[in-house]
Amino acid sequence: MPVSSDLLQGTLDMLILRALALQPVHGWAIAQRIQQISNNVLQVGQGSLYPALHRLEYKGWIRAEWGASENNRRARYYSLTRAGKKQLEAELANWDRLAGAINLVLEKI
Amino acid sequence: MIAEWLSRVRFLLRGKSRSEVDEELQFHLDREAEANLGRGMAPSEANRQAAIAFGSRQRAREQCRESRPAWFIESLLRDLRYGLRGLARNPGFSAAAILTLALAIGANATIFSLLDQALIRALPVRDPGELMVLSFAGDVSGQWHSDGGSSPGHVHEFSYPMYRDLRDKNSVLSGLVASASNSVGITWNGRSEVVSAELVSGNYFDVLGVRPAVGRLLQPGDETAPGANAVAVVNFDFWKTHLAEAPVIGKTFLVNGTPFVIVGVASSGFHSVTWGRMPAIYIPVTMQHIAQPERDYFTRRNAYWLNLVGRRRADVSLAAASASLNQLFLAIRAEEFKSLRDQSANEHKKFLTEAHLNLDAGAKGFSPLRDDLKTPLTIVMGMVLLVIAMSVVNVASLLLVRAATRAREFSVRYAMGATNGQILRQLFAEGMLIGLAGAALGLMLAPEVQRLLIRWMAGRSPDSSVFTVSLDWRVIAYTMGATLLASILFSFAPATQFWNPNFSDSLKQQTRDGSSSMHFRRTCVALQIGFSLLLVIGAGMFVRTIQNLRNVDPGFATDHLLSFDLAPLRAGYSPSAVSPAERRVLDAVAALPGVRAVGATNDPDLADDNVDGSILVPGYNPKPDEDLSAELPWVSDGYLQTLGIPILAGRNFNAADTATSQKVAILNQTLAVHLFGSAAAALGHHVSRPHSPETDAVIVGVARDIKHNSVRDAVVPTVFIPFEQGTHPAGLTFYVRTWQAPDAAANSVRAAVAGIDPKLVISNFITMKEQIDDTLLGERTIALLASAFGLVAMLLAGIGLYGILAYSTAQRTREIGIRMALGARRSSVIGLIVREVLLLAGTAIAVTIPIAFAATHEVRSQLYGVSATEPGVYAVAILIIGLVAALAAVVPARRASTVDPARSLRTE
Repeated sequence: MPVSSDLLQGTLDMLILRALALQPVHGWAIAQRIQQISNNVLQVGQGSLYPALHRLEYKGWIRAEWGASENNRRARYYSLTRAGKKQLEAELANWDRLAGAINLVLEKI
Repeated sequence: MIAEWLSRVRFLLRGKSRSEVDEELQFHLDREAEANLGRGMAPSEANRQAAIAFGSRQRAREQCRESRPAWFIESLLRDLRYGLRGLARNPGFSAAAILTLALAIGANATIFSLLDQALIRALPVRDPGELMVLSFAGDVSGQWHSDGGSSPGHVHEFSYPMYRDLRDKNSVLSGLVASASNSVGITWNGRSEVVSAELVSGNYFDVLGVRPAVGRLLQPGDETAPGANAVAVVNFDFWKTHLAEAPVIGKTFLVNGTPFVIVGVASSGFHSVTWGRMPAIYIPVTMQHIAQPERDYFTRRNAYWLNLVGRRRADVSLAAASASLNQLFLAIRAEEFKSLRDQSANEHKKFLTEAHLNLDAGAKGFSPLRDDLKTPLTIVMGMVLLVIAMSVVNVASLLLVRAATRAREFSVRYAMGATNGQILRQLFAEGMLIGLAGAALGLMLAPEVQRLLIRWMAGRSPDSSVFTVSLDWRVIAYTMGATLLASILFSFAPATQFWNPNFSDSLKQQTRDGSSSMHFRRTCVALQIGFSLLLVIGAGMFVRTIQNLRNVDPGFATDHLLSFDLAPLRAGYSPSAVSPAERRVLDAVAALPGVRAVGATNDPDLADDNVDGSILVPGYNPKPDEDLSAELPWVSDGYLQTLGIPILAGRNFNAADTATSQKVAILNQTLAVHLFGSAAAALGHHVSRPHSPETDAVIVGVARDIKHNSVRDAVVPTVFIPFEQGTHPAGLTFYVRTWQAPDAAANSVRAAVAGIDPKLVISNFITMKEQIDDTLLGERTIALLASAFGLVAMLLAGIGLYGILAYSTAQRTREIGIRMALGARRSSVIGLIVREVLLLAGTAIAVTIPIAFAATHEVRSQLYGVSATEPGVYAVAILIIGLVAALAAVVPARRASTVDPARSLRTE
């Protein structure tokens, strides 16, 4: 069953940053990547992806450049900035702690 | 972090363009459709599915815009634009609200600025936080000259030898300065005037860190030996206003007839280490006998006259400094005790065992004036806070009424998709606009009001005021803080009637006047009545106080009485020439046409001045622990007659009482009765100063009591002696009883004195009425401001109540129509409404009265002849407020009752 697109904002931010960790990607590909890698469990609300991308850009965690897409159209490619990398590490570490803690609780009860 | 902010600032200045966002979204949709095609969909179906997957494109665009950093500012600007439009649509309302606030904020800024200058601001010296004011507990045996501010446990005056010992032998202060103040006569370019001089130690400016504006300041080398340092520094303001910034360095002027060389001008803004002293010149403390020719203090250990302020070394704690200085102080006191005349165990206990040196924080400086101003300023500050609280309630109720009439506007906005937050934000933006406009107008008014107030307080000596017109950062910060708080409070008042989880429902009910807003409106009315009642009662109390003080009978007629000061010593006269010169002035003035009588004293009446000391009366056994002391004026033989003080027993002084004849004294009635049981019984007894057999005088008369210090104070025991029989020459205050208006005699008096010797400087020409007013300055100021605030309160209450009542009565037009259709008479309808308002007013008054009792009780030290529960004041105040409330209710009620019932039933 797909999880609703009503993802926590912080979680969406983290997923986006993670999706950008390897190489610059454009918006559509980010949505696709998250959906595919999560085996279609996580469906990013496509409409809410862009405000989130812009917010991260305004925060200086990612930067955007126009580039040529795989089908040779002009597209906005996003990549992580140094601040974004740091932010991603911090969020991942945080997530690990949280997930670990929740797992512990679930196993014990 | 920094990168994040830089990025934000960059985008704030240059956000993404709409076309860029649109292109990006379009690319996404195209790419999705392409992918759908790849999955085998038909082109139209592929586009449709892509659009469905994306959701609302418009919403995405809006959200992209809202995530821009500039969005906050954009929306704020939009709210402000709405707000401005709203205010402009209702100019009458806006003007009333803004003026109300401007009045309150202007008053607050004015008073807070005075409070700031007197009570908060530190001295304009280097590191004021390190300064410590020295005072001591312990017996003062000898001559003690105080300008006020001292109490038995906190004597702020030290002898010069004590100062030198403390300064040179301590290891905890980086500097210790001494200063004293008094009037001197100066002659500059042939012009003579009396100015205030500060006697200061040589290290005074160094330790305080004051820089010269021109030339040099005094240095430790200017404090060598008595009479050896005839140099002076000029105060900057005096240099500017009196010497026209002339090049003064190296010039010579006369101080009390002795030439002094001016070495420099102190930096602008500096007056004294004692707040409130406004010296024109600074001269070395070693020149004491020139500045104060009547006193011989400098070398004496038992003359207490110098105020001390030390700078604590940064590496020494307060406790350590206090311990170390106390040890030193007690060692010096022990040495001093050995030379006292009185070596009794009791004196030892009072002089030494109970002695202690106090170190108090001195960043603001020692200041008797501040002590005097503290309570009046605090009271006035309390009043302006009430005024601003009242203006907040006032504007809140105006906004409330206005918001109620705007229910439809808000319904429309809500229906168009505005959220609670957006509507609140708009209300707040409107409130802030009113607040800012009010604050701006208030701050514009404040300097003018302050200038008027300062001039009014300074009275006849406009350039001696310690206050300046000043809106410094503290005043601005206070005003902005008050404005912000006030704006928040009254902005959200209208929200209270909407603020409900189900906003739209409450809006629909609004047209029917929800009960919560009714409740809020009643609260507003009650608060306005309460606040204004407090202010009107305050005004009543202080006006009664000043009336009572003005009506006090001091024991002599205060009309047609002119006084002036004259001190031949200040004109360089030798001590033996002083009394004869004063006698010549008395005779010359007495011979003037229009003068009924003339007399003189060294201890002016009703001027808050004292010349007092212990007395010894053989034949009277003081009670244990009774310190027999009295006021000790030296007067001319015409003094009692000029003031109109009758002799109750014995005789008045006369021309036969000269410097060489038998010394004589006249007691006042209070002292005579205290000592001997009756006036007549006192005659023939002797009175003298302790340890001074040369002062022994025989009591030849008893005079009726008069008030001496001020009309406020009780009669004090007094011993008059002829000034020519005093122990040293003294400057005198002359009293001239005239036939015509007293100030008309001033010119002929001046001419007569100039005819004797042009060097003799007359100062302080003043009528007795003016003199009394001067000593009542604090009371007059409070009374003036309290009346002003009382009036403002009544005005605001009138406007505010009328606003609310007019609205809520209009709301009830339908009900009134029904009542009248059923046969109610107009008068009974009006009565109904007025009764409701008066009931509410009665409740508010009942709640306020105990608060007023408590508040008046707190300020009773500033009241005179009026008790904190004075029924008259309360009755009048309640009557006034009741009338205002009734008037505010009657006008709208009459209007409502004149409406045709048939029409009023159709309203809504």
